[in-house]
Amino acid sequence: MKIFNLPDLGEGLADAEIREWHVKVGDVVIVDQPLVCMETAKAVVEVPSPQAGKIKKLHGNPGDIVNTGAPLVEYEGDNETLTTSKDAGSVVGNLEESTQRLDEGDMIIGAAKKTASTIKAMPAVRALAKQLNVDLNSIVPSGPQGQITLEDVKKQADERASEDQVDTLHGVRRAMAVVMMQSHQEVVPVTIFEDADLSDLPSGSDITACFLAAIVAAIKIEPNLNAWFDGKTMERRLFKEINVGLAVDTAEGLFVPVLKDVGKKSAAELRTAIDTFKKTVKARTVAPSDLHGATITLSNFGMIAGKYATPIIVPPMVAILGCGKIREVVMVRNGKMEIRKIAPLSLTFDHRAVTGGEATRFLAALINHLQGER
Amino acid sequence: MADITLVEAITQALAYEMRKDKDVVILGEDVGKDGGVFRATLGLLNEFGPERVRDTPLAESMIAGLAIGMAAQGLKPVAEFQFMGFIYPAYDQIVNHAARIRNRTRGRLSCPVVFRTPYGAGIHAPEHHSESTEAIFAHIPGLRVVVPSSPARAYGLLLASIRDPDPVIFLEPSRLYRWAKQEVPDDGKALPLDVCFTLRVGTDVTLVTWGAMVKETLAAADTLAKQGISAEVIDVATIKPLDIETILASVEKTGRCVIIHEAARSCGVGADISAQIAERGLMFLQAPVQRVTGYDTIVPYARLEKLYIPNEKQILAAVTNVMEFA
Amino acid sequence: MNVVAKFEIPYYQCLDESSILHGNLPDSVKDTKQLVKLYRLMVLLRIFDTKAIALQRTGKLGTYPSTRGQEAVFVGMGAALANDDVFVPYYRDVGTLIQRGVKLSDILLYWGGDERGNCYHKDSEDFPYSVPVGSQPLHGAGIATALKIRGEKRAVLVTCGDGASSQGDFYEALNVAGAWKLPIVFVVSNNQWAISVPRSAQSASQTIAQKAVAAGIEGEQVDGNDVIAVCDRVTLALKKAREKNEPVLLEILSYRQSDHTTADDASRYEPQGIREKEWLKEPIGRMRKYLEAAKLWDEEKEKALQAECSVDVEGVVKEYLNTPPQSPESMFDSLYAKLPDIYLEQREQLIQKEIVAHG
Repeated sequence: MKIFNLPDLGEGLADAEIREWHVKVGDVVIVDQPLVCMETAKAVVEVPSPQAGKIKKLHGNPGDIVNTGAPLVEYEGDNETLTTSKDAGSVVGNLEESTQRLDEGDMIIGAAKKTASTIKAMPAVRALAKQLNVDLNSIVPSGPQGQITLEDVKKQADERASEDQVDTLHGVRRAMAVVMMQSHQEVVPVTIFEDADLSDLPSGSDITACFLAAIVAAIKIEPNLNAWFDGKTMERRLFKEINVGLAVDTAEGLFVPVLKDVGKKSAAELRTAIDTFKKTVKARTVAPSDLHGATITLSNFGMIAGKYATPIIVPPMVAILGCGKIREVVMVRNGKMEIRKIAPLSLTFDHRAVTGGEATRFLAALINHLQGER
Repeated sequence: MADITLVEAITQALAYEMRKDKDVVILGEDVGKDGGVFRATLGLLNEFGPERVRDTPLAESMIAGLAIGMAAQGLKPVAEFQFMGFIYPAYDQIVNHAARIRNRTRGRLSCPVVFRTPYGAGIHAPEHHSESTEAIFAHIPGLRVVVPSSPARAYGLLLASIRDPDPVIFLEPSRLYRWAKQEVPDDGKALPLDVCFTLRVGTDVTLVTWGAMVKETLAAADTLAKQGISAEVIDVATIKPLDIETILASVEKTGRCVIIHEAARSCGVGADISAQIAERGLMFLQAPVQRVTGYDTIVPYARLEKLYIPNEKQILAAVTNVMEFA
Repeated sequence: MNVVAKFEIPYYQCLDESSILHGNLPDSVKDTKQLVKLYRLMVLLRIFDTKAIALQRTGKLGTYPSTRGQEAVFVGMGAALANDDVFVPYYRDVGTLIQRGVKLSDILLYWGGDERGNCYHKDSEDFPYSVPVGSQPLHGAGIATALKIRGEKRAVLVTCGDGASSQGDFYEALNVAGAWKLPIVFVVSNNQWAISVPRSAQSASQTIAQKAVAAGIEGEQVDGNDVIAVCDRVTLALKKAREKNEPVLLEILSYRQSDHTTADDASRYEPQGIREKEWLKEPIGRMRKYLEAAKLWDEEKEKALQAECSVDVEGVVKEYLNTPPQSPESMFDSLYAKLPDIYLEQREQLIQKEIVAHG
């Protein structure tokens, strides 16, 4: 319908007064949307829109009287002659009418064209692939309908696994893991970094031997770093003997053979012992007794690479000295730039048993010795 | 050419075919002078006269039985039931006779009848006017069940149904009768029966639906597109016989399927579609097939009616389920 | 050739179109107080009916079928029913139901789309409206069968329209009522229209009443614009059914002074002028004229009644409009005696959806 006439508002009255319009010309309304507030002799009544549509004309202003059955609102419509038909086109209910134009685009009869080939796999197979982290795209299916089977997925998972290396740690590596975990749990490490100027060492010097001698000298000044500490019993044992654990890297892992009583040995003796250890460690013939009893450790990791580090203390020791790659650097000495040969040092101490002062004095003494300042 | 509504498309198809084929006869309650309670047969009495547009006495079983007899004599009756809620007295005639007369006479007699009726809820009508019981017809061998969802498909499918030599239950979603207009050329071109229509092409999820729920499903597909999910929308159109191949081809592509129907859940047509996907498409699925349906209740009276009809939110929730399943 | 059967269909009228009473007042309606009561009820019904239409027009009520012009049919029937008779309506029977303990606000609830409109009062055995018309005469026959099995001296009254009298179920009900001698009265409320189909197109039968003959039961026509005749004939029919298990078919003739429902438009098919012509026979004016002539009514009483009914109806409307809708899960709660467990999940989903809808 295009013209909506004022319906009988329930009192059998002949007319009603427009109180207030809720819509204006051009508004798009839906079924039941309130159009206007009408006042009768007895009541104020809201009149809802009987259809959806666009408002074309409002027949009256607030204050105007409209007769029952007379035009109230006009809707826009197709090129049809305007009638006052009240045909709702129904016998029950309310059909939603819209001015919407159905725009479905292209309709395909049947299925849309197939693009790529699809992976065929039963849900259980897909679930297993997900669980085993297997990409279904990478599998060549062996099932009778071209589907991927459970076996296909399992096989793929196995092959992948053999490319990776998965093993459980044994022996030396396991021992390292255990020791490191224990250290991490017990030790309270602090690392101090400093450089030692080795430029004045005679050429051809056995650097390791020099370090050993320097350690001995430092311990004389600060003996508290040559000690064992038991965190449970709170017992600290200061050693007279200096047994230096020497970190040795092998294919099997880290070994730390112990140079016993370094303070009483000559440089040559120490060199021999070091070389012997290198051989026996490589050959796995080093005696267990040679791997125990260190009171302080030296790690020349710089032989391979690295400047500074935070080397790990293996309890019950309380100190470890790390030496990075010896290098030439530009330094300022006495106000002048000079090229010097320096060794980057990292001294980790266990702050449960060693103070910062003790550690720094040890380090200072060690560096002085290395630098020839006796 | 003016755009027309779905119910006007029905009228247009009936008029076209009645002009073309003198054997087409319309019968039903209030179809003549009144033009049908929804005006689906508007103007046809004027054009074709009372012998071919027949106002019947008030009796649905009679309407179905008459149509069967007329069809056996070579007429092409289009019988209207005023609402699907009133078709049940005719169920005996349809099931026991319309559906099987060809079979039991080995083809000597047949039943080229279209039984058409407004169907589905959503027009605030009194009780019994909101039925969606297509499943009870879809279950019957020998019948076709066709459900248009747009003016163009109403026109093309009704023509096809009238021309089909077997009985067709043609269910017209009353909620869509005047909902939107579409350009529908009056060219007499039928659309194929027994085939689904792909209304939207997509890659992420397949939405299978029919009837008035096409409206909400297309709206959901629009919303999904904004969220970056590409939904393929399939209008089943012919519920029986079901074109499962189109649905399977889509599921093969997307791996995820949601079926939407207004009818109650248990033993609804969605259950059959789901079973067929399980039989032949299981290995493409990345998630279980979901159904969004009416509840297993009597359709409530008008005050609660809106809560019964599945809405866009429910469709979106089901899509979320299948997209996030794996 | 012998004639083996003949039939006669009587037509009953007490108060004619000019409001002249023919003969004496029938026994069942002798009490003048009752006459006035009948009149008052018809007026109330018409005022309610007008208001219901207006409610629909202003979007506050769903589709509604008017009873305008047919007030005597339903009010007369309602007065004839005994309290413990059982009533099976079709859908225009407001005038009867309000005499059976049904509230007018319940009628509005029903057409307003709320199942609680069918609840009636707790002990009512009456059926709710029948929208698939013509199916209810069989229900009436079933109720009558139960009453007979239990040997109760009660009767059933079932109504339907002229359209419904073409349904197979209608014939089946008449037939079994006759075959089993059921205590049932069938009323066909013939208002001349079945939506757009006129009575003449519904059946070649001269009267609908004579369909009784085929079922072997009594049939008669009654002037439906004459509330006295309606009340009397229905009373007698119910008595026959109750006391002798003799079913009766009454065709009560009136005219539909409205569209089929508020969504229908009768101007599409109803010939011009008929309605106005039939209005001259309408029941309320006819009764008023008689009562005024009998000094039982006057203008003052009329004014007072109109005012009283308007107030009553306003109260009814207020009650209806203030009734909040049922909870969503009520959809499930009367589905079975006890809702099977498997549907609890859906019921819960529905509750959640409602929360989502409001949130």
